[in-house]
Order: sequence, then C-alpha cells, then structure tokens
Amino acid sequence: MSDKDNCTYKEGPLPSCAPLAVPMLAAQQHSEPAYESVDALTKGTLFPGLDLPFMDYVAKGPVEASPLTELMALDFVCQELALYLDTHPNDAEAFKKWKSFTALAKEGRRRYNEMCGPVQRGDTAMFDGWVWPEDPWLWNGRKAGKK
Amino acid sequence: MFVYEKKLQYPVNIKTPNPAMAKYIISQYGGPDGELSASLRYLSQRYSMPYPELKAVLTDIGVEELGHLEMVGTIVHQLTRNMTVEQLEKQGFQDYFVDHTAGVYAQAASGFPYSAATFQVKGDVIADLAEDMGAEQKARVTYDNILRMCDDPDVIDVIRFLREREVVHFQRFGDASGAG
Ligand SMILES: [Fe+2]
Repeated sequence: MSDKDNCTYKEGPLPSCAPLAVPMLAAQQHSEPAYESVDALTKGTLFPGLDLPFMDYVAKGPVEASPLTELMALDFVCQELALYLDTHPNDAEAFKKWKSFTALAKEGRRRYNEMCGPVQRGDTAMFDGWVWPEDPWLWNGRKAGKK
Repeated sequence: MFVYEKKLQYPVNIKTPNPAMAKYIISQYGGPDGELSASLRYLSQRYSMPYPELKAVLTDIGVEELGHLEMVGTIVHQLTRNMTVEQLEKQGFQDYFVDHTAGVYAQAASGFPYSAATFQVKGDVIADLAEDMGAEQKARVTYDNILRMCDDPDVIDVIRFLREREVVHFQRFGDASGAG
C-alpha cells in the first residue's frame, strides 16, 4: 500500500517499489489546487505545490492589468495545463479545464487584436492593410505595448 | 513548424540602463545553462524519444524555452539601450561594446560565444531525461545567482518568473521519467 491518499498538494507519491538506478521524482498527482490566471502568471506557475520562490523573492503585486497581460495570463494557464497534460494525459478534469481556458484565450486574443494589433501573422487578415511590421514589438517594453 | 507570437510570455519593462547587469544576465541567453542551450537540447532530443508523452513534453518545453530566450534577450536589450558612454565605461562594458555595440549576442557572462558543447543529445531516454532534470536545476541556480547580485526591481521581477519556470519544468521531466 502506498501513502498516496495521505499526500497533500505539496507532496506526491513515489512508486512503493521503485527500480534502482533510475532517477525518480515524487509525481504531481492533481491539477488542483490551482491559482487564478493573473495570479498564476504573476507567480510563474499555476500550481501552489510548485510555487517555490528563491528566499523571499516573491512578486510585489499582480502584473499590471492591460489587454496584453490579460491575454498573457490566459495563454499562461493553457501552457501550464498543457505541460501537465503531456505527462498526465488521462486527467479528464485537467483536459476539461484546458479546453475552457483555450476558448477564453481565443476570445482574449480577439480583444487584443482589436485594441493593439495582430498576435500571430495570420491575425493581420482582420486589418485593412499589412500592419504586421508595426509596433508593438514587445521587446521594446511597455511604451510599445500600449497603443 | 513554428508560428511566432508577437508577445512575450511575461512582461519586461526595464526603465534604467545598467550594462554591468546586462553582462552577467546575458549568460542565460548564450551561456552554459542558458535558454538557447535549453531549447536546442529539448528540441533536438525529441527525435530519438520512444514515447509519445516524452515527444510532447520536450516539444512543449523546448518551445517555451525559445520564449524565455526572447525574454532574456529583451532584458539585455532594455538594460543596454539608451546607455551613455560614461555608463558603459564606468561599468566595464567596453569589451562587449567594441564587438557588439548595443546588440544582443549569444555569449556566456565570461564572453565565451555560445557553444553547442554546453548540452548533449545522447539518443537514450534515461540519459537524456536525467540530463534535462539536471539542466533545469542548473538554470534555476543561475537565476538564483542573478537574483543574489541584482538590485533593480524591474529586472528581479522577470528573473523571478523565469526561475520559477525552471522549477515547473524540472517537475514535468520528473513526471515524464516516472511515466516512461
Ligand atoms: Fe526550463
């Protein structure tokens, strides 16, 4: 018998009999608990169990709200769930959540398109001309990001 | 096939030029445990991976690392744009400046140009996954070290985010080893 049921979200089980000479890490068991999307982006992970900052280097506050950070947060949750699903493909609940966040991210992208411009090159088709080369290119920072 | 997204994974908005800081942070661009090594390592290891979960996790993490490469390049760019000659002289940036001006070049903090000798593709599932877990920890420590030296809150905020991603990737490679 494993202690699987006694593991909290900050812990995970190891196989009760693990093969020697193979690197092993306690497995994450569930996609819950999870942070809300802006919180997840701010912290750098969706999962409180993996939120392990260096010393007291924690975020001073949530990322500044904008159409861009709203989209970033939704895309970030999709990425976190996708990585989790890659290694937990049979977690139906996580898949359902990923599907609903994918739909939200799609809407977020449309909103961002309307306010700021294309995200992917193909988004340029909704504009009247070839606006793809125009700012914002995000390495320029906030000034370029806000139009 | 890759499709570019005209956004960063996490916002980078640095107000104050600091070439001295750029000079050590650039190690996560083209240094031994940097994001370029990470992405090339994972994207190259995929071909010989036997299990679907491993192909997927290496693809998805490898692509995210390319996004991190872009973020580190952005940090270096924002720390060196608008710097003055006085700043770069006082902060010992002349050796970089003479070769690359304010461009972003793939090199280690020591100045050593990017080298594929910083990673391996062994073509063996256990060897490659063990390397990947080690690589995530080495990248995490590099970010720890950057945090130890860094005093600009705009930079600290982004480095903190990138460091946390290494913790998550480490867990995913561990989960993948268990599944395989
Ligand atoms: Fe990573």
